[in-house]
Amino acid sequence: MSTAQLTWTLFRKDVAIAARSREVLGFLVIFSLLCAVVFAFGFLREGRAAQEHVPGVLWVTLLFTNTLGLLRLYSADEEAGAWTLALRSIGGPTPLFWSKAMLQLGFSTIVCVVLWPAVAIFLDARAIAVHWTALALLLGLLGQALFGALCAGLLAQIRLREVLLPLVLYPLAAPLLLAGVKVTALALDGAQWPEMQSWLLLMLAFDAIAVVLCPWLFARAVT
Amino acid sequence: MPNRHRTTPLLSWALAASFALCATAIGWVFWATPIDDNLGIVQKIFYIHVGAAFAMLLCMVAAAGAAVVDLMAPNEPVDAFGRAFTEVGLVFALIVLTSGPLWARKSWGAWWTWEPRLTLTLLAAFIAVAVIAVRGFAAGPRGGRKIGNALIVLAAPTAYLIHIAVQKWGGTHPQVIQGGGIANWQMRLAFWGCVAAILAVAFAMVALRGRVLRLQTTVADLQLERQAVQLRRARQQAQALSQTALAASLNTAPPA
Repeated sequence: MSTAQLTWTLFRKDVAIAARSREVLGFLVIFSLLCAVVFAFGFLREGRAAQEHVPGVLWVTLLFTNTLGLLRLYSADEEAGAWTLALRSIGGPTPLFWSKAMLQLGFSTIVCVVLWPAVAIFLDARAIAVHWTALALLLGLLGQALFGALCAGLLAQIRLREVLLPLVLYPLAAPLLLAGVKVTALALDGAQWPEMQSWLLLMLAFDAIAVVLCPWLFARAVT
Repeated sequence: MPNRHRTTPLLSWALAASFALCATAIGWVFWATPIDDNLGIVQKIFYIHVGAAFAMLLCMVAAAGAAVVDLMAPNEPVDAFGRAFTEVGLVFALIVLTSGPLWARKSWGAWWTWEPRLTLTLLAAFIAVAVIAVRGFAAGPRGGRKIGNALIVLAAPTAYLIHIAVQKWGGTHPQVIQGGGIANWQMRLAFWGCVAAILAVAFAMVALRGRVLRLQTTVADLQLERQAVQLRRARQQAQALSQTALAASLNTAPPA
């Protein structure tokens, strides 16, 4: 079996477990909505929340929700005692990494599909240049899923991983967050490609680094 | 038997010389360089700030290089010096992040601006803290070694972005070296003297810390070896006792 076939098999297995247990995704969606509501409370001025807070609330809520999801990303394998077996399977640890990154990307995309309109409604945002925000979200969630799957895998066997994961992940994901917030804010202001080009290219560069480095580091460091 | 782990006289001399060089350079900064017309006495922070930023950048790049080498082919001295570079890099990042706002308050009118180079220096410092914390929480001196190395390799692109941030994004950070240099020869001499002195201190600190970390690993190995010997001895004693007890029970058993 090739790495791609193994990755697909592991991904299908993870999706089947997630669909059967239904424990993670539902809680992630509810948590993200609750988090957005709490943020909105923090930004209310005279009963109305200003739309300039939309980029910050959206991206920070997504980061917090992703962190929560990442803490459970490898737990099914660990609880079933399959962690070592999965790492030592025929294809090595790389298919495990890709399947977990794809699962995390899937979770965060579903959360984002629910959260984005909710934040727009809560904070009274206009639907302007939505395609640029969608592109930034895609790039941002991809980078977060790759960095997150790596960090969660690295910390899977370490004491206090719940505390260490944000400590490790947030500085690494911060450039993506910074660029994502900037692109969303520019899109809401009606800006076009030349103004947001450098930020989107920065996100693309980070994703390219993540695609190359994260699987290699996972294979080297987790075994 | 000679103690091969004793701090070598060369290292002690290098450390003393680097501190002496640093003291001389700082003395030159305060007594021999003119006060800047626009910024006043605060401009003298520049001599320390830039040198510390160079040291931080070099330490991070060296730590990333050591991490890559150790991930490809595990090597104890490389790992020890990689950790030392990370820790010393963090010390200099903190110096940069402390001296920067002091200068920025006078120069830009604010303690902190979310300018790309400042932001990424802060992020690099957080990454170094995370790496040190991961290695600290993992069990044993070798625990978290690969994980720490993987994280520091990821920090390398961040260090690169710190270097190119101003040119790429056009931030407000001053570019004294690239932007025409320092006109006054006394200032120029003091600046490069400070850079050389701070780099010398950084490398002396790395050498010393690397040596301490290697000693810690050796001590941990010796403790493990001692525990293994004690366990082996205890097992042999238990086996001997059980054999004696068995022989005694056979001898005292009543005839059938």
